[in-house]
Amino acid sequence: MPALVAVSALTLTACGGGGTSKAGTTGAQASASVQNFLPGTAADSVGPAPAIPGAVTGGTAHDIENSGFDYLDPSQQYVNNQQEVGSLYSRSLTGYKTDPATGKVTLVGDLATDIGTTSDGGKTWTWHLKDGLKFQDGTPITSKDVKYAVERLYEDYQTQGPVYFQTWLSGANYRTTYKGPSSGTDLPDSVISTPDDKTVTFHFQAAHTDASYAASMSNITAIEKSKDDGAKYNAHPQSIGPYMISNYQAGKTLTLVKNPMWDPKTDPIRHQYVDSWVFDLGIDNQLMTQRLMAGQGDDKYAVSMALNADGPSIKTIESDPQYASRTMNKFLPFVDTYDINMTRVTDLNVRKALATAFPVANVQKINGGNATGEIAGNLVSPTVAGWKDTDPLGIKANPAGDPAKAKAILQAAGKLNTTIVYAYSNTPTGQQVATAVSDALTQAGFNVQAKPLDTTSYYTQVGKADNGFDLYRTGWAADWPMASTVIPPTLDGRLISDGGNNYSHYNNPAMNSEMDRIGQITDINTQDAQWMQLADKILATDIPQIPTYYDKYFNVYGAGLGGVGYNQVLGTIDLNSIFVKK
Amino acid sequence: MLRFLIRRALGALVIIVLLIALTYFAFFSLPTDPARLACSKGCTPELLAQIRTNMHLNLPIYQQFWNYFSGLFVGQDFGTAGHCAAPCFGYSYNTQSFVWDRIVANYPATFVLAIGGAAIFLTVGVGLGMIAAWKQGKLADKAATAIGLVGQSTQIYFLGPLAMALFVVNLHWLPQPAYIPWTQDPWGCFTGMILPWTVMSVIFWSNYSRQVRSLMLEQLSEDHIRAARAKGMSNTYVWWRYALRGAMAPIITIFGLDLGAVFSGAIITEVTFGVHGLGYLAVIAVNQADLYLELGVLIFSSVSILLFNIIVDAAYGLLDPRVRIG
Repeated sequence: MPALVAVSALTLTACGGGGTSKAGTTGAQASASVQNFLPGTAADSVGPAPAIPGAVTGGTAHDIENSGFDYLDPSQQYVNNQQEVGSLYSRSLTGYKTDPATGKVTLVGDLATDIGTTSDGGKTWTWHLKDGLKFQDGTPITSKDVKYAVERLYEDYQTQGPVYFQTWLSGANYRTTYKGPSSGTDLPDSVISTPDDKTVTFHFQAAHTDASYAASMSNITAIEKSKDDGAKYNAHPQSIGPYMISNYQAGKTLTLVKNPMWDPKTDPIRHQYVDSWVFDLGIDNQLMTQRLMAGQGDDKYAVSMALNADGPSIKTIESDPQYASRTMNKFLPFVDTYDINMTRVTDLNVRKALATAFPVANVQKINGGNATGEIAGNLVSPTVAGWKDTDPLGIKANPAGDPAKAKAILQAAGKLNTTIVYAYSNTPTGQQVATAVSDALTQAGFNVQAKPLDTTSYYTQVGKADNGFDLYRTGWAADWPMASTVIPPTLDGRLISDGGNNYSHYNNPAMNSEMDRIGQITDINTQDAQWMQLADKILATDIPQIPTYYDKYFNVYGAGLGGVGYNQVLGTIDLNSIFVKK
Repeated sequence: MLRFLIRRALGALVIIVLLIALTYFAFFSLPTDPARLACSKGCTPELLAQIRTNMHLNLPIYQQFWNYFSGLFVGQDFGTAGHCAAPCFGYSYNTQSFVWDRIVANYPATFVLAIGGAAIFLTVGVGLGMIAAWKQGKLADKAATAIGLVGQSTQIYFLGPLAMALFVVNLHWLPQPAYIPWTQDPWGCFTGMILPWTVMSVIFWSNYSRQVRSLMLEQLSEDHIRAARAKGMSNTYVWWRYALRGAMAPIITIFGLDLGAVFSGAIITEVTFGVHGLGYLAVIAVNQADLYLELGVLIFSSVSILLFNIIVDAAYGLLDPRVRIG
């Protein structure tokens, strides 16, 4: 039986997008009622991908990136632009198919014939591989290659990719149970079995109803054992997608050309319109924006997958109509929050006063305004299934903050002049935000001690369980469009540790139990709704975080490109639908 | 002369060893945790511990330093990443590559930028200085001095984008600046580097023009120049044969030091124009807190500068015997 019955009908916004000239006018309120992230059927998983209207083949498309791709090995890819470039040459068991006519996004089988099946409520999952799948050297892909790809995630050098499958299969200390294929052994059939060349079955330790979504991550793929040379594989991953690597100079350039072994009939997600892709890496943000705006030479056919235009250029792009038809402005899966250290700020009234006084509108404005972030009422991004436009702390109702009201709360609680150690990343933007936050909190009756932290060690310092700070900015994005990858990682009290992601050190046993209960709900539709309710309940009850804004992508792309879409799950330009206009 | 050079080389060696030790311990005493920086979004204590082990951060700091220092001469093993052959400048965990490979890959861009830029700033700077000296007090002198002053007051990060907007975007005279290996496409390399060469040279040439002007004027008032003129030699001959030659010794010193600086990476020029050279690599290393990459670039740049210092000393020694004796 299909494991996932239904994913909630998410009223996702048609925010921005090609053709919008005014960013922010199409935000969370302007909805287009598109049902997204529903699980597709086996029929939906059959290739080829729906044709892009007007698409033609040929030409070279370009991409300009601010940084290099640290990881080309799909097993190590986690950063969104790396996952997106990986999607050109790699594939996963499942993936997301976008309907070019409606913009509807559906979870479908990618390497697999469907999104997977479970017979026991989510503990055991089976996928069947499609016919006609091949590596770039013509070797057929079998279920053993999928098992091998997961086994190599246990190797010592594999430290960058998601750890969902490994921990679900073998527990948090999964490396102690198995050292990877270089140890000369395989994972036993009781963990991953491959009864035939087309079938792979995963035996998780507990039920994971969202495994179909987890199987869409870059590292749940197929790796050719004979080509795997450990960490060095990062420089020459073998293609199973429409393109393959022809030239790669770390941090400088990456060139992809067509992979003749890729069969479009096996792929419901990707196209092979352009002849080649050239990635120009390590270009300064300002220069990148200038090049995209000017669109001269090869830049006429260029995009920047995930990087926003530089601050000063955003206003020009917004106000000059010549850029309107080639501007993309969409929500990212990230939500920016200010975390309150619950181990230090133990009084709920103090946290309430912090949230009441916090100058959210000012912070959003300093960080780029509506073009790059829309004021958030809650902890879940609009790109996540089940999202609702809720506002449990009244932030959207009064984004400027209310220091006078906050002062009254403090006064009533006898907490006037409470010292708040506010830590911030010592950048020009961080300094401006620090001034705004300090002013607002001081007006509210707090004694603010602003502590600048070195940018490179910021997360090292705030990530310590005993960090010595009371308030600091963090951000989080869903790994797949369900809040199961937002709420537990950031708010489960059992995950508090040095280097962990529960930055507010929030630990409410009742809420922890709720997370366990919701995670076991087999009806994904219900699960999504309950994650959203729990997120709001945590905010309303304990205030461990102050949501500030939903991050957004904002940039222009070359006028010579067609089919420029947006990958809502990763928060990047969708490279797979792009073609070069004739 | 040989003893002089050996003495200078030994001195440079001591400086390099001290530099490596100081920078290594300085970097690793920072609050930055390289393991935490290398730990991705879903970082867990288990992943963090694994990365720490992979990066050998569990070893005592003195042992880490010894591994690094000895690796410069005999190489070092980096687990599954393989053996890093000497000179091993460490392993960049951010990019999964050996630091030396990154330096070697980026150095040609710096080399081409330095050669082209130096040729322009030397030619233009010396030329302007000579014109100013030749036409002392006249309009040409004032114009050359003014051009030099403007050059000195201008910043690359201002002039670079302006030049690109004008010559690339509006006039379409030049392609987008980029370093294309000259072995691949010599013409593309030349046209792609015209703007970086020119803009970088602007900040240097003013210094040369002022120095050359004053040195030439000083030389022209020397007794031996007057004696040469008195013997009936032509002005042009005296100018080129005696005055310029006498003025060149200090210019060679400055030029050698400037070459050392640009050969070790012109950071602002490389970042402004997206030229992936050594300076650009330094910026990437700092932004990503890639300590081994930072250290590698720093050591390599320092060695370049010291090397050019020795070359300058040797050249000066050849020109002036008093230096050798001293």
